[in-house]
Amino acid sequence: MVLADIKPGCKARITNMESLNEMVRRRLMDLGVADGVSVRMKRILPFGGPVAVEAGGQWIGLRRCDARRIEVAPS
Amino acid sequence: MNIALAGNPNTGKTSLFNILTGSYEYVGNWTGVTVEKKVGVLKNKAGHLIDLPGIYSLSPLSRDEGVATQFLLSEDFALILNIIDASQIERNLYLTLQLLEYGHPLLIGLNMIDVAKARGFVIDEAKLSALLLNSPVVPIVARTGFNCGLLADQFREAGSRKGTPLVIDYGEVLEPAVQALIERLDALEFASKRWLALQFFEGNALVRELLEKHLPAEELELLYSRTEQEIKARHCQFLHAYIRKVRMDYIERILKECVTRTRTVDYPFSERVDQYVTNKYLGIPIFLLFMYLIFKLTFDWAGSPLSDLLDRFMSGPLRDAVIKGLDAIGATDFIRAVVLDGIIGGVGGVLVFVPQIFMLFFLISFIEDSGYMARVAMVMDRFMEKIGLNGKAFIPMIIGFGCNVPGVMAARTIEQPKERLLTILLTPLMSCSARLTVYSLFVGAFFEHNQALIVLSLYVLGIVVALILAKLFSSTLLKQSGSVFVIELPPYRFPQWRTLFRSTWEKGKGFVRKAGTFIFGGSVAIWFLSYAGPGGLAVDMDHSFLALIGGAIAPLLAPLGFGNWQAAASLLTGFLAKEVVVSTMNIIYAAPNTDSLQGLIAGYYSPLAAYSFMVFLLLYVPCLATVAVIKKETSSTKWTWFSVGYALVIAYILALVIYQGGKWMGLH
Repeated sequence: MVLADIKPGCKARITNMESLNEMVRRRLMDLGVADGVSVRMKRILPFGGPVAVEAGGQWIGLRRCDARRIEVAPS
Repeated sequence: MNIALAGNPNTGKTSLFNILTGSYEYVGNWTGVTVEKKVGVLKNKAGHLIDLPGIYSLSPLSRDEGVATQFLLSEDFALILNIIDASQIERNLYLTLQLLEYGHPLLIGLNMIDVAKARGFVIDEAKLSALLLNSPVVPIVARTGFNCGLLADQFREAGSRKGTPLVIDYGEVLEPAVQALIERLDALEFASKRWLALQFFEGNALVRELLEKHLPAEELELLYSRTEQEIKARHCQFLHAYIRKVRMDYIERILKECVTRTRTVDYPFSERVDQYVTNKYLGIPIFLLFMYLIFKLTFDWAGSPLSDLLDRFMSGPLRDAVIKGLDAIGATDFIRAVVLDGIIGGVGGVLVFVPQIFMLFFLISFIEDSGYMARVAMVMDRFMEKIGLNGKAFIPMIIGFGCNVPGVMAARTIEQPKERLLTILLTPLMSCSARLTVYSLFVGAFFEHNQALIVLSLYVLGIVVALILAKLFSSTLLKQSGSVFVIELPPYRFPQWRTLFRSTWEKGKGFVRKAGTFIFGGSVAIWFLSYAGPGGLAVDMDHSFLALIGGAIAPLLAPLGFGNWQAAASLLTGFLAKEVVVSTMNIIYAAPNTDSLQGLIAGYYSPLAAYSFMVFLLLYVPCLATVAVIKKETSSTKWTWFSVGYALVIAYILALVIYQGGKWMGLH
């Protein structure tokens, strides 16, 4: 399962971010999104647009294509 | 004593800087407001405070982050003031650990302590301090100034402490590698070599650059790849991820000791607002509506009526008073002409637009401070991606509506170098407030009943041209791969009036200052060129030097509908600053006030030619200050010339198409 599959309002735990582009991965880690972290899907923008997730009380916007590269486990 | 102010983006560093130094810096509610380091004198005269750009880590990803790391590598300072967002303490401590490893004395300002409390965080400051090598920890609220005096009182003492680097155990693979590197760095003069080594293994490009001056690059590469291989075999995929993991575990242990969470809180308000502004169907219409409201407020509802009042004052009571004054001191005709036609005509003609410009800056500040900017970037990202940019490029462009100079600088927050360059090149197409003065003049003369609409059309044209060129450039000149878009979405907050007014004033101040310097000097020079000619002084305007120069260019502009020497001369001087066009026209047409100038220019242009003129003015070249900042930001003469050249070509083509096309359709 990948992050992009999570429905708005639902939570998931990140299991693998290795297939992300290096810069994106580093930036997400800076914002506290890393393996083992629990995130909640907040909004999914239309037309394949970005998604907004919450991690540690913080909202982060990222692209749908990147959200597809983040493996998660439902929690 | 020099004190460096460091912390994560959007943690209130700039607010604290303003309080501690009494000066005012630009504050916004989005990541990356501080794009270069700023220095202020502390109120209590203890020394200088250096405001570094917000960073999450010392390993830089974008250029503004590099400024902070470069500072630590090369500058001399006594103390680091680390500001931490108490409500995001876990993430914020990541930077703190790296600063402690650096080994300089550290003073911690635990900011937004009120927000943290409201969110249910209880932080034991004494314990936190003990766990961070006894670095003093002061809970503050920078927004209101709470405890900031107490923080300032700690500077001297905290700065005189001896800094001891924090040593975290990085495990059986990394520790020997770090030791091996430190031993090879014997000859290097640097306080904390362990920090350098750790930063190197974390992939810090600036540190690597420094080390490569002392050690062969191959040796460093070999050491790095061997260590990464070992980490891969035993722990995880990447070396930097491993280092992060060790530090995060360390932070977790700290937090367990000193932070308790009594409850968790949601943001019902932010969430509700986001349901609309990032809505499937409503997101983009809401954004456009906001833009429309901004123009309505600036032109129709508030800005223009105020400008009219000011104009009446300047051309009436003020001018009369000055004439009386001149009579009283018995000024010569020459002096009278300089003051009345040159200075009052030129500078006054620009100053009347102050209300409109302040209105625009006020509204831009409001959007910046409310947290909406990051949402706009997100809503627009999908679209921007299609044309080879990312949503963040929208922020510099919106700021560019106020002034292109900070707009170009704001592009530094874009991580991808090619996207950043592209944004820098296109931001000058955003119609800045200086261009507004010219539109105001022309729409008043030619499009009295559709002022806001006509001006809006110019703004939209600037955006559309920028977007088309973005697509064109990104698929030809600046082909790229690996676009990056990750953005923090701060909770909405209602901007504080005080900050809002100050920030409006700070932005608008530049405009007034420009009127007093640049435009003042320019006006006098232009007036002189119009007063003197080959035939001597006080010649007929049509035989002046200005007419000669303008006349040489005018034929080129004839196909665009404004082939008179006056238009050519104004555009030429407009390179200094776009509002100088208005000054020049005031002087050339010897108009006592804006109303009569509008009457006069109506005789020289048809409405179609006036529109064509505005389009040309919108696009033709970035002003002098913008060109200078483009040069600085791209550090490339080639791209600077390119930004001037392409703009001129596009402006000419578009104005030509509009004028000739309009004529062909029977407009005039």
